[in-house]
Amino acid sequence: MNENKPSSTRKAPETITRGVPPSISDSKSGFVPMEGGVSFSNLLSKLLRKPLSIFHELETKEVLWKIPITLILISVVSLTVFGLVVGTFSWGNQIWAAPLKIVSGLMFSALICLPSLYIFTCIGGLEARFSTVIGMLCSIVALSGLLLVGFAPVVWLFSVSSTSVVFIGFLLLALWMICVGFGFTLVFRAGKAMGMANTGHLMVWCIIFLLVTVQMTTTLRPIVGASETLINFDEKKFFLQYWSEEFQQATD
Amino acid sequence: MITIFRAAAYSFKKAISLCRGDRRLLADLIGSEQGGSVLNCIVLIALGCGVYGFTVGLRNGWEMGAYVAIKLPLIIFITLIVNGLLNGFLGLVLGSGIGFRKSIQFLLAGFAIMSVILGALSPVSFFATLNMPSSVDGAGRFAWHGASLLMHTCLIAVAGITAHSRLLSCVREFADSSRAGTHVFFAWLAGNLFVGAQISWNLRPFFVSPGLNVEFLRQDPFNGNFYEAVTVALKNVSLI
Repeated sequence: MNENKPSSTRKAPETITRGVPPSISDSKSGFVPMEGGVSFSNLLSKLLRKPLSIFHELETKEVLWKIPITLILISVVSLTVFGLVVGTFSWGNQIWAAPLKIVSGLMFSALICLPSLYIFTCIGGLEARFSTVIGMLCSIVALSGLLLVGFAPVVWLFSVSSTSVVFIGFLLLALWMICVGFGFTLVFRAGKAMGMANTGHLMVWCIIFLLVTVQMTTTLRPIVGASETLINFDEKKFFLQYWSEEFQQATD
Repeated sequence: MITIFRAAAYSFKKAISLCRGDRRLLADLIGSEQGGSVLNCIVLIALGCGVYGFTVGLRNGWEMGAYVAIKLPLIIFITLIVNGLLNGFLGLVLGSGIGFRKSIQFLLAGFAIMSVILGALSPVSFFATLNMPSSVDGAGRFAWHGASLLMHTCLIAVAGITAHSRLLSCVREFADSSRAGTHVFFAWLAGNLFVGAQISWNLRPFFVSPGLNVEFLRQDPFNGNFYEAVTVALKNVSLI
């Protein structure tokens, strides 16, 4: 009798066991096995169409690192494309500096937020592998990057029309918040599908991640607009102070 | 010659059915795998918006009428090109199951309905333009310019709202879930409004403010943006 008892507190542990077909609720949520392998194009398509199948794959398959590495690759490519478009606002050195700063800044932000994501998901009652949590983080960045590529023509349109650094800066921040919002929604859905009991902690982590990425824009300033120095690590500023100063300068 | 007339009559019948809200026709336009439906929508947009645009610009002469007849459909096409990738991504990410090609077909169908309505309103607009004093007339030219601006904004808004409400019900039916369909529709709408406003700013003038020249594009079409201009206007208003 004890053999049939679920060994963990997860909602539906049988759904993530290899070979067992997914339950109706899992099929509805999209937490089903991924079809078509872990190639770049298939993962890109699944990230948009059936993102939860990626987490199913991460939880059930032995090939642990292929998916996160491909997701990182998608992120780097997408963010580089987006960065190039951002760089066209100022041209000069920014054409290579902006993509470099955006890619490295976001990757570094993700890296320093990874431990807290793992701990917060554990506190929330999720019994996922560390590789799955890495996959979660990579999928946030990859999905956000893909959506930013979708916004790239819009950014280009405004970058050729506007000369205001403040306007472009706030536009980019607004777009980043929209895109990362989709990433957060995906992680919440994944957490729930995998049996997360309490999503409040994940919410706290999302706020932390958002703050870190936003602060990164100030640390790596200037990402938009020409400047004599490419990096300004000496003068330390909180992003709210920096933005309010920039805004004041523009409106004076 | 007879074939052309038949094709024109068929397109006209389709346009009338679209206005009636023929859901099957709309579904056919969107669901069609062939390029014919896209072409049909493009023709309807070019004709409907073109004719209406002509009546908008006519107040400033035939030349301006021709310019606006070209530029009004261009706003729609450029907006759809700029937002095409994003609309496709949003359709997929929001779980509607509507991909890139379908999102373009949906939006083209929506704008085609709007264009048919605008085309139908163009005789009214033409009549109104004929009854307005020319923009070079001294007395009350600013008031008439404002009245013209307000009237056309209202007519375009009515056409847009009517067309998009038709489209919303169709997107809801077509999407994997009604909720996802609603989300996708409003996401598309927000994106298209945001970008469309900027495109129309770049392609100005349409109404030609009193004292300014009639021209296809301003000397500096890419200098400044719509939202900066709105901010400046609000600032000026607050100083009054």
